[in-house]
Amino acid sequence: METYISLAIALLIPPLFPGIILKVKAFFAGKKGPPLLIKYYTLIKLLHKGSVYSNSTSFVFKLGPIVSFASAFIVLLFFPFAGNPSLFSFHGDVIVLFYLLGVGRFFTVAAALDTASPFEGMGSAREVFFSTLAELTIFTVLILFFRLNGSLSFAEYFIGENSISLLNASGALLLFVIVAMFMVLLTENSRVPVDDPATHLELTMIHEVMILDHSGPDLALIELGALYKLFFYSAFIAHLIYPFTLVGGLLNTLIFYGLLAVIYAAVGITESIMARFKMDLVPQFILTSFALVFFAAILTMGVLP
Amino acid sequence: MDIFLLALTVVLAGGVFALFTCRWFTLMKVGYIAITVTGCFIGLYALAMSHREDAVTTLSATWQHLFSFSFSLDPLSAFFLLPVFIICPLAVLYSFHYMDKPDHCGRVAVNYFFLSLLIISMALVTTADDIISFALVWELMSLSSFFLVMHEYQQQATRKAGYIYLVFTQVGAMFIFAAFALAYSYTGDFGFQFLAGLPGTIKASVFFLALVGFGSKAGIFPLHIWLPHAHPAAPSHVSAVMSGVMIKMGIYGIFRLYTALDVTEILFGQVVLALGMVSGILGVVYALGKHDLKKLLAYHSVENIGIILIGAGVGMIGVASGNTLMAGFGFAGGLLHVLNHSIFKSMLFFGAGAVLQKTGVRHIDQLGGLIKRMPTTGKTFLVGSVSISGLPPFNGFISEFLIYYGAFHGLSLSGASFIFAMFAILSLAIIGGLAAACFSKVVGVVFLGEPRTGKAAGAVEAGISLTVPMIFLAVVCLVIGIFPEPFIFAAFQGLTSIKSLPPLSNDEIALVAGNLALAGRLILVVVLLSALLRKILYRKKEIAQGPTWGCGFSQPTVKMQYTGTSYAMSIVGFFRPFVRLHTNYSGIRRIFPGRTTYDTHVNDIAEVALTERLVTPLLFFLSKLRWIQHGHIQLYIGYIIVTIIVLLLFI
Repeated sequence: METYISLAIALLIPPLFPGIILKVKAFFAGKKGPPLLIKYYTLIKLLHKGSVYSNSTSFVFKLGPIVSFASAFIVLLFFPFAGNPSLFSFHGDVIVLFYLLGVGRFFTVAAALDTASPFEGMGSAREVFFSTLAELTIFTVLILFFRLNGSLSFAEYFIGENSISLLNASGALLLFVIVAMFMVLLTENSRVPVDDPATHLELTMIHEVMILDHSGPDLALIELGALYKLFFYSAFIAHLIYPFTLVGGLLNTLIFYGLLAVIYAAVGITESIMARFKMDLVPQFILTSFALVFFAAILTMGVLP
Repeated sequence: MDIFLLALTVVLAGGVFALFTCRWFTLMKVGYIAITVTGCFIGLYALAMSHREDAVTTLSATWQHLFSFSFSLDPLSAFFLLPVFIICPLAVLYSFHYMDKPDHCGRVAVNYFFLSLLIISMALVTTADDIISFALVWELMSLSSFFLVMHEYQQQATRKAGYIYLVFTQVGAMFIFAAFALAYSYTGDFGFQFLAGLPGTIKASVFFLALVGFGSKAGIFPLHIWLPHAHPAAPSHVSAVMSGVMIKMGIYGIFRLYTALDVTEILFGQVVLALGMVSGILGVVYALGKHDLKKLLAYHSVENIGIILIGAGVGMIGVASGNTLMAGFGFAGGLLHVLNHSIFKSMLFFGAGAVLQKTGVRHIDQLGGLIKRMPTTGKTFLVGSVSISGLPPFNGFISEFLIYYGAFHGLSLSGASFIFAMFAILSLAIIGGLAAACFSKVVGVVFLGEPRTGKAAGAVEAGISLTVPMIFLAVVCLVIGIFPEPFIFAAFQGLTSIKSLPPLSNDEIALVAGNLALAGRLILVVVLLSALLRKILYRKKEIAQGPTWGCGFSQPTVKMQYTGTSYAMSIVGFFRPFVRLHTNYSGIRRIFPGRTTYDTHVNDIAEVALTERLVTPLLFFLSKLRWIQHGHIQLYIGYIIVTIIVLLLFI
């Protein structure tokens, strides 16, 4: 029962949190900012609209939103939110899920190239390059986790015995992971300093430019998928910070969503105090995150038998 | 074994039939296809029968009291025979519309004859049970494939490609023969079963000598140079067979030798794994840099051979360190990837052949928008691209997952093995990401968007004999992804031949296979439900058509589309200095610039090194000896006499 309730919350709540990012950014700019529920309003608005399709596109263009939404949705089914058991889980599911996010990316890119737009091609080229580098960091994190408790699934990481958390054994190594995963979060969800979702110049975009030609419910599916993805990465980091195995029930859920709010606020602060990088610097940024976790993984050679 | 031989006889009869009926073009093609497909079906039946019998069937015949040829069919051979008997009939069927050249019926007949020989020799390579028969059928395989590459011998590029292939395959064979000779000098017997008794250092020499030979056939990184030359030169059905099936014989050689030598030292695993990582990463990087469709696919073969070797290397390290899970799943993943790669790579070559036939263009930057003009080819190519990128729920993911699974369990080792397991995982991750990047490039540039040239705009769907094999293989890709259990068990069945491998319990395998099946089906169901959701959301909505948003630009042309070259540029640039990137830019010098040109091309570092470091010095040295060849016949006879006298004096 807890599984279903926590999953239902996790499926409904992701559009709320980006409102926090916008509020934080508005605070730094001395503005009032859009309402907290802005993403819900956007989704509802999009769902009521029709669509305009480019003459250049084929069925692949319509497949893009479906697959990118479905892949992000499935990832949430495997995640133990706030320490509640996940709906599905098996030894090795993390590999499947990170590859599944790759499937979503593949079809988003294919849909972008289907429009024959030079800008969307440019965005796609950057997306595939940067996400390949980010994959290195993610898999090094998985390697480190396997070294720490021999597990290969989100449920085993976070709710099994000997769970992975800053407060448990070898927690110091997780400091590296938290910083690196935060950097991956910024990369994979096209946030500043890697990408700027609020910019108005198509030449400088990465993710936003790939979905320029999508409209109506298609765009709503893409947006929802992107929100789920951001929510998943944030939840991942939240679980690293605090072990939800200590106390049970409602308190866990409250702490979890409180932590999430802090992480989203951190994203907002990062976006407020940093400018986006030049494109050449982005690979270095991602490789820095890789270097951090790689160092941590090498350290386990001394720490563990 | 009798049925197996019957199958090969039928295939051979098909080849001979083609030679005799070459005057009646259509009759020849129909007859050849019917006979060969029948032969391959009999072969599959023979495999099914051999699977039922537990005993290893052997056949041996003595020849002139000197040698005995012996062939045996064990589970490992049976697994490698699967792609032979599945892919080859499809390639033969594909050739019906592809080889639509009644003017050259004689050459087509010769092509068919050598294709039959290639099928037979590959089947015999996997079953050969002693040194002599292996060497013989190995050479038969190399030569018949050489003649297949040389099909369009009038073109200079084809001849060059053919000779490069011949040099590589023969030098490789020399290394294999050297390894066998070394082994024979110690055992004094030809059978593979005696190899296990060799002393340890000799085992290492035999293994590494043969590794060079098998590696040049399989296309392991510095020895892969012939692949990107031979595949574009050969007809597409031949490329499909060579890339999908024949290069796997090199892998078979490595597996077989590993089994026969019974080596369990960790060094072998480490070397194989390191070679796999280098081939995998550099193969896909060069594939990104190449823009000839078939050349690109050839480099992807190098990459996939790398993945297979990573699996094998992980397995060997697992065996050496006694880690059962690592050993079993590493080897099983590598072995299953042999089958999977043969399926999607031949499908992709079929697709490339269809594009080539209908547009006459191989450079991807001159294509575009083909999915609207060639829907079946486009869709199957899309399936193949997702599969080869190793993405779920298709077959490529299943084998890569098994390798990951093995490698992750190797992380519990300490010291060097931990480092190797870690690098295996990281290289698989980066290979996967880059392969997805490369195939999004191919699909996006070739099949999506707008046609970049008139040739691409005028394309029509390929003939039915081209599309049917592609559809079949696309369905197989999805079936293996959704129902992986029998295929995973088949791979483990094939591994029972490797004696040093500790067996895994069936429950363990079934658990992993079941989880993969669950994941695959879940993905499929959720995607279908999302499609349904989208359909519901679009009910009674206004749908309009319009031009692509050009960011305010109102006169877009197809030339504005992003090209494959630009798409891959930043990634290829990232991998310098391992990739030589040459840019020719005329520059803009005056206020009113004249004609400006810009082009880039990627040079293979192995090819450059081979040319600069080996071939050029060798040619220089040999040119100094040219005075020996002067054309005076009496002096040539003198050479012979002197040689004979010297030999008689000293031996």
